[in-house]
Amino acid sequence: MKKSFVVFWRRNLAFAKLAIVSNLEYRLNYFVDALLQPTLTTGIEMLLWFAVFAGAGTSEIAGFGREYYLAYAMWAAFFARICTSWMYETRMIQEIDSGSINSLLVRPMSFYEYYFSQLMGYKFVTTIVSMMVPLIAINFFDLPTKFERLPLAFALEFYYLILVHSISFVIASSAFYLNKVYALTGAKNLALWLFTGELFPLDLMPEPFKSAVIALPFSAGVYVPVGYLTGRLEISSVWQAFGSITIGIVLVNALGIWMWKKGVNVYSGTGA
Amino acid sequence: MAIVIETKDLTRVYKTYQKPEGFINSLRGFVNRKYVSKVALEKTTLQIESGQIVGLVGANGAGKTTLLKILSGLVTPTSGEARVLGFTPWERKNDFLRQISILLGQKNQLWWDISPADSYALLARIYDLDPAQARKRVEYLSEMLQCSHVLHTQLRRLSLGERMKMEIIGALLHEPKVLFLDEPTIGLDIVAQETIREFLDQYVKEKGPTVILTSHYMDDIAKLADKLLLISKGHIVYQGTVPEFVTKSNTEMAEDEEVDFEEVIRRFLETESRVR
Repeated sequence: MKKSFVVFWRRNLAFAKLAIVSNLEYRLNYFVDALLQPTLTTGIEMLLWFAVFAGAGTSEIAGFGREYYLAYAMWAAFFARICTSWMYETRMIQEIDSGSINSLLVRPMSFYEYYFSQLMGYKFVTTIVSMMVPLIAINFFDLPTKFERLPLAFALEFYYLILVHSISFVIASSAFYLNKVYALTGAKNLALWLFTGELFPLDLMPEPFKSAVIALPFSAGVYVPVGYLTGRLEISSVWQAFGSITIGIVLVNALGIWMWKKGVNVYSGTGA
Repeated sequence: MAIVIETKDLTRVYKTYQKPEGFINSLRGFVNRKYVSKVALEKTTLQIESGQIVGLVGANGAGKTTLLKILSGLVTPTSGEARVLGFTPWERKNDFLRQISILLGQKNQLWWDISPADSYALLARIYDLDPAQARKRVEYLSEMLQCSHVLHTQLRRLSLGERMKMEIIGALLHEPKVLFLDEPTIGLDIVAQETIREFLDQYVKEKGPTVILTSHYMDDIAKLADKLLLISKGHIVYQGTVPEFVTKSNTEMAEDEEVDFEEVIRRFLETESRVR
């Protein structure tokens, strides 16, 4: 048992390393992805909130001042980038659609762990670099952030990534039946743009949507960790988010395992 | 010798969508699709002993690759049974997968964005091999295949022949007991074909794995295979040795005619194509 865990652990570290090594091969792409894109997103989000406050002619919205919204926008852009998985999800779909999954199916490992560890490795290495952007901006504009809360916010975010990957696994498994399901990734990411709280803090939504959307595990992607970090939310919200993610992981994986088992049975080993 | 591969009434039927040409038919197909069933493999029963090299020969679409895919666990059969090394292949148990390898000549199985050396280090982790031993093995195999100089070049920058050699090293790194080779020399020039053929011959003599080999180059089969499996429209139509097959075919021909293996197979495939 101990031996098999060690083998599993080493194998998955190797997958994480693969993601890092592969991404570092293409330096410009990595630079744009890890630095330029987060800078642009942060700039856009900040401009948006500057415009909202200037247009509204008020110093507070829903009890919070402009600095809180700017800090929220800054961190939201950063956390949203961590919790979005379009690149690996697209690759997972491509593997099944093109038949290149053949080389993975005949090796002693699972498709789920192979991509999960790569996702984690990639997110880890880009997060470290991308984090420079909000840190510089927060200090430059002197925006409210409780830095001592960062470790727990990150723990929640990386736990949420398990759910993110499980959803990708479900979508990719549907490619066994439907081949091209890339549009599902786009539609899902649009929905999550709203449900995670990347677009705006979820507590600005009217009831009954507000309570429902905050109770969903997706709020753990942006709204809860950023709200906690900027002082909008307290620790009880974080524990609740851990709970809702856990329920989400169980449900989504049950569906994913079922779809995967049915999928590989109809798979025809395309293209070779 | 022990039986390592055994199948009984193995059948695979593929369901495919049929779309008549034209824009209107695309619109029709959007709401109402017609599917047809195609039998790729029909009630195949065979036994393969350990340490044999089996040449699997048939026309395009005869069912060779489907059979390989089922035996390696890639594809689940519609019905029938199969045991490979005592395992049901399509259950894909890790203990089974550690003992087999499949090389698909038309597909890359190593990682495109990294060097073969990095790929082998990853494979060593996947198969739980000692990294130092794995490195030694890579060194040994790459010397045999005369390709040590490209081990640290990104895979996508290698020529087809170099890539195939790298794929072969990757497939043999964990010393599989059963090796499925689907067109390992496809698209290669004569020199590269010969190098790979000689390498496989030497490797099999040394390590003694069971090999199932498909190839459209009859030299591969004639020089490497101990046993021949002829497959036609999803049925195994001949099981035996290459010399027996040639003798049998010659006795069936006109008295004054005597042909070699390549010619016999060529005639067989031609007949197949006409019948299809």
